[in-house]
Amino acid sequence: MNIKTTLALSVLLAAAAPAARAVQPGELADNTAAPLIAGREYMVAPNHPNQLNVLDLADNKVLKTCALPDAFGPGSVQISPDRRTAYILNNHFGGIYGIELDTCKVTFSARMSLDAEERAIAVFSVALSPDGKEIYTVQNPSKLHVDRYEVQAPRLAVYKTDAGLDARPARTFPVPRQLSLMQAADDGALYALGPDVYKIDPENGKYEVAVPLLNWKRPGYGAPDVLSAWAMQLSTREFSALYTAPKFKDGQQDLASADFVWGVLSIDLKTGKHEIADFAPLTEIYFTGTRSPANRSHIFTVLNGLRKYDIKAQKLLASASLEHAYYQVNLNRDGSRVYLSGTLQDVAVYDAATLEKIANIRLPGGDMSLSTAQIFVR
Amino acid sequence: MARTLGGALAAFALASGSAQAQGRINIPNLMAERCSICHTDDLGRLPRIQAQRKTPEGWLMTVVRMQRMHKLNLTDDERRALVKHLADTQGLAPMESAAARYALERRLNTVESFKSEQFTQMCARCHSGARVVLQRRTATEWERLVHFHLAQFPTLEYQALGRDRGWLRLALDEIAPALAKDYAYGDDAWQKWKQSARAPVAGQWSLSGHLPGKGDFNATMSVTTKGKDARDHYALTLDGRYADGEKLIGRGAAVIYTGYEWRGKVEINGVEMRQVFAIDGDTLKGRMFVADHDEIGADVAAARLDGGAGRILAVQPSYLKIGEKARLTIVGSGLDGEIAFPAGVKALKIIERAPGRVVVEALAGRRALGTHTVRVGSAEGGELAVFDKLARIEVTPPYAIARVGGNGGDAPKVEARFEALAWANGPQGEYKVGFVPAKWSVSPFNEDAKRDRDLAFAGVIEAGSGVFTPNNAGPNPLRHLMTNNAGNLAVIAETTGGGKKLSARGQLIVTVQRWVDPPIP
Repeated sequence: MNIKTTLALSVLLAAAAPAARAVQPGELADNTAAPLIAGREYMVAPNHPNQLNVLDLADNKVLKTCALPDAFGPGSVQISPDRRTAYILNNHFGGIYGIELDTCKVTFSARMSLDAEERAIAVFSVALSPDGKEIYTVQNPSKLHVDRYEVQAPRLAVYKTDAGLDARPARTFPVPRQLSLMQAADDGALYALGPDVYKIDPENGKYEVAVPLLNWKRPGYGAPDVLSAWAMQLSTREFSALYTAPKFKDGQQDLASADFVWGVLSIDLKTGKHEIADFAPLTEIYFTGTRSPANRSHIFTVLNGLRKYDIKAQKLLASASLEHAYYQVNLNRDGSRVYLSGTLQDVAVYDAATLEKIANIRLPGGDMSLSTAQIFVR
Repeated sequence: MARTLGGALAAFALASGSAQAQGRINIPNLMAERCSICHTDDLGRLPRIQAQRKTPEGWLMTVVRMQRMHKLNLTDDERRALVKHLADTQGLAPMESAAARYALERRLNTVESFKSEQFTQMCARCHSGARVVLQRRTATEWERLVHFHLAQFPTLEYQALGRDRGWLRLALDEIAPALAKDYAYGDDAWQKWKQSARAPVAGQWSLSGHLPGKGDFNATMSVTTKGKDARDHYALTLDGRYADGEKLIGRGAAVIYTGYEWRGKVEINGVEMRQVFAIDGDTLKGRMFVADHDEIGADVAAARLDGGAGRILAVQPSYLKIGEKARLTIVGSGLDGEIAFPAGVKALKIIERAPGRVVVEALAGRRALGTHTVRVGSAEGGELAVFDKLARIEVTPPYAIARVGGNGGDAPKVEARFEALAWANGPQGEYKVGFVPAKWSVSPFNEDAKRDRDLAFAGVIEAGSGVFTPNNAGPNPLRHLMTNNAGNLAVIAETTGGGKKLSARGQLIVTVQRWVDPPIP
């Protein structure tokens, strides 16, 4: 039986098989209706062919696998503030879907293209208002004339989470180009990562530069580069991304002799304050870095190795070699365990203190690719 | 690290299908019926189509994209006839395509270099710069091409060298106007070319070539028309031999686009090969490569045997060692006069003589040291190096790419072929001798390659031929991080010259499959 058939069957069988049972490694979930338990810690991880896995972090097992509509990719997930719904940017960057985690039901969907005469995608941009009533995304549309394309200005689209299937935006506003990751602060302001970090008022579309990046005037530094596809919802309520930047030797600002550094940008979503902190020389590539909720000076980074740095001391504390590359590093709520995801179909679990491996959680299905995994407590 | 064009096979042969069937298609009607559904303006013209000029491959990519993405309905013969019409009426003049023929010829180890860093970063970061250089458009059309790019590939302004700048503004305000100036639609070269007389194609051609991994070859190529219903369509036969004595027998077809763009499809000794040549009067030049392994290909030059001026295309091999008798094959046309070697080189015996090929046993003395042309009657040319001791060798290409493949996947392995090019010292300084046999090996290129044991995984090189065959595609659980069988290898050639050991080093990147492989990379 192929994966597609099995998935379709698992959806059909769900109603008739309410009993919850942890899925064994390599096995497809057949308990889509298993409800999540309040107070328990979970991780969601989307993967190929087009599904959303819910992992129970109490026993590091796959609890369930929800089949997703349309097509996979990129699989950028945000969890609603009430931890009941996962909103996922998917369908080749062309749609956002709300998945009720208790039932695997699709409760919300919206196409990024608003009419037949345009093609629009969102590049990793999906965020939720703090009250969970609105979804934000930046859509990059192009008008499809009969024999040519015309690139349009990007727009912030605001949807109501209760708008159901085939939802239309409640409001749209023009925004700068090249926006990607977004998170809403407790005061309702929306922070969006682009050439700089913008602070947008989603009520009226007014925006300002909250943190200059490409245009920063940091003495002794050249312009930074920020590449991130993973908007992690951290338990510390920080919106963060890694940057690399040239640090010049002297006033000549010579790029060839500059030292390149890794640093982390953190915006406190509770207060709006931000911090820019270098932590390591650029000796290898990391795709993500996450500060520990247990110790803000500790940051874990990953791609071809798992590293743990002390930010204040700018010191490598520990290092672990990996079985394969992982894109994303997450930590559980108390900061005791590190969860690596992205690429292939296993989530690797490490002890945050020793960087010793605790487990591999094998997901049903295929590659996680560029998808975003999120850890949350129901 | 240098980036080459990389790649495997061209998707569509430009010389296939029924010539007669293509000849019968009424192109104005077809364009009025199919193209004008989207492209027509108020005056019934086709403004987008009429504001662009491209190579046959360029038009092929456009028409195929219309089929695949915009539901244009065409039969294979209709597509071929349409591409031919567009390349004929809105093509590039020979001098317009000259700068980037390497891309048409699928020389995918070419490392491009452009004066404008901005052009390199804005255009040639995703595809070859050649793809741009091989187009002519009006200012409006260059601007629309920018819109096309971001509409089709919206993430490009988020990628490295895209997100560090306001990509769209820069593309519209600086790149499009610069391209409109450098690659203008209405160029004099094209007007002149359209009015110039076309060189004859049918007849006998003398052909000379060199296939890395195999060696020199020469042949007579007979070209016949396919009748008046099939203008520009020709049938071909090839009859010749390789330097190692193996016969070279081929049969196929060619189509002439734009009056000079020769695209052939021939079966040679049972292997299907493509020809991408440019005709220049009574000569032609280009590359002939294996249809489904375009990394395997030969440099080719040819001259018309009937009517053309006497020419020497090549001397095979291109060198004589002092004091050693050797057979030289002079390949060309009109080779019917006296054979005149440079002073100090004696023709001992004429072994074979024809207008296209003269085989001579020759012996060189010390006073002939250096490089020379040779003369047969009124024909003069070729390169003959006379040497005593080799001074050094170099690996060609100095930098190449091979690709893992097979193992159940769609993409075949892409091999790499290396040759040792020898040089000697003479009174006038260093001079090129030619390709010499060498013993081949590979080793880790640097410490990273050593640590990752690239040598054990990336593939093997044949010691005698310099042909590198990469390993299977796919993640390898035996490797660090389960990575692919990629590798960074030094390619080492060793030979002896004048009693001393000579060696040279090149670089080979063994990388992953190329999944998107259009006719122009």
